[in-house]
Amino acid sequence: MQRPTTYGHSPPPLHHPVPQHVSTVPQLRSPPPPISQVHPQGYDGSSPYSQPQPHQARAGPSGNMFGQYGNFMNDPAAQIATQFGQTAFRHSQEYIEQNVNRYVNVPALKRYFEVSNSYVVNKLFLVLFPWRHKPWSRKHTVGPAGQEGWYLPPREDVNSPDMYIPVMSLVTYIFLQTLIAGLRGQFQPELFGYIATTAVLTVAVEILGLKLGCYLLSISNASQLLDLVAYSGYKFVGVIATIGVAEIANAGKGTGGWVGWTVFLYTFLANSLFLMRSLKYVLLPETNSHNQGPMQTMQTGDTRARRSQRTQFLFFYSYVVQLFFMWILSRP
Amino acid sequence: MYLFGNLIYITILLINAIAILSEDRFLARINLSPSSYDPTFGQSADASVKAKIIEIIASVRTLMRIPLIVINTLIIVYELVLG
Repeated sequence: MQRPTTYGHSPPPLHHPVPQHVSTVPQLRSPPPPISQVHPQGYDGSSPYSQPQPHQARAGPSGNMFGQYGNFMNDPAAQIATQFGQTAFRHSQEYIEQNVNRYVNVPALKRYFEVSNSYVVNKLFLVLFPWRHKPWSRKHTVGPAGQEGWYLPPREDVNSPDMYIPVMSLVTYIFLQTLIAGLRGQFQPELFGYIATTAVLTVAVEILGLKLGCYLLSISNASQLLDLVAYSGYKFVGVIATIGVAEIANAGKGTGGWVGWTVFLYTFLANSLFLMRSLKYVLLPETNSHNQGPMQTMQTGDTRARRSQRTQFLFFYSYVVQLFFMWILSRP
Repeated sequence: MYLFGNLIYITILLINAIAILSEDRFLARINLSPSSYDPTFGQSADASVKAKIIEIIASVRTLMRIPLIVINTLIIVYELVLG
């Protein structure tokens, strides 16, 4: 109120240290941009009593911080340093991307992880109970006015193999085995590596055997290696179910006894049927529909004996091989 | 770990067995050598199972002779030195 009368005089110099770049926002908000628009003269028009207090309060903790921040960002050396850091980071990212992309096909891998919740639930139900499922073929999409015909990702097609469920079930299997070993008092830290190596080697040997069989029977499948790895990884779901139920029911005796072997047999049969139905489209040739499809076996050698050979191979792979490997995996 | 080492030994021994077989004395007797293999000339893929087996045995023998020498030497040294 008395301000306008004494406005002619120059205001008394402020006693507290005034930072150079203080801004007008209150101190509870996120830090403002470092360039501030407030001149010290702007405060002259306000009342003296409200002036020092909030100004001090504002300029105390927050102003110093902003002042320091502002000083830091306006320093040319700091700017050069941030530029250098940004370019270095970008270069390292490109380098990593190039080298990783040479060994691992990352975009193709990403397609296998496009899953949705409903897909995961349906697929798990399908692995454990495949007897009622009707259409097992994967869905194609046609390119625009061209016969591209690539497969739909797992999100839109329940029959499409994904890598999410196999990876997750592999990790769960490792943890479950070590947990059970710990419950039995046999835990040691090397057990993690041992079980992980066993599981990965099982998958690798199985894929090798499958590839050898495909070579011997002249099945040239254009479906990728990762598809076969995914199909091979679905057995971990059954193995987890077997181990889990056996452990609960037997209270520490492993997969011995009636309950363990019953669950093992059930999951083995379910997994084998699932594999046979799914791999039928991968390994066995389609005789009537398009010849340039995923299975390019030549028509000249496609006799009945050859087809029965392939069917026998598929049966052998789905049942006998899986039995062997599932038994290996469910050992304590 | 015991399993992993044993697996390596098993594979090396099997590949050794394939590489050692005498071609004219044994493989020709049971008709598994490349010389007794006379299909039509343009049928490299999609041949019969037997032709495929012949081809795989021949390729393993030619390709793995020299690496097998190296690997066998390494394993022998390992077994002698480390028991």
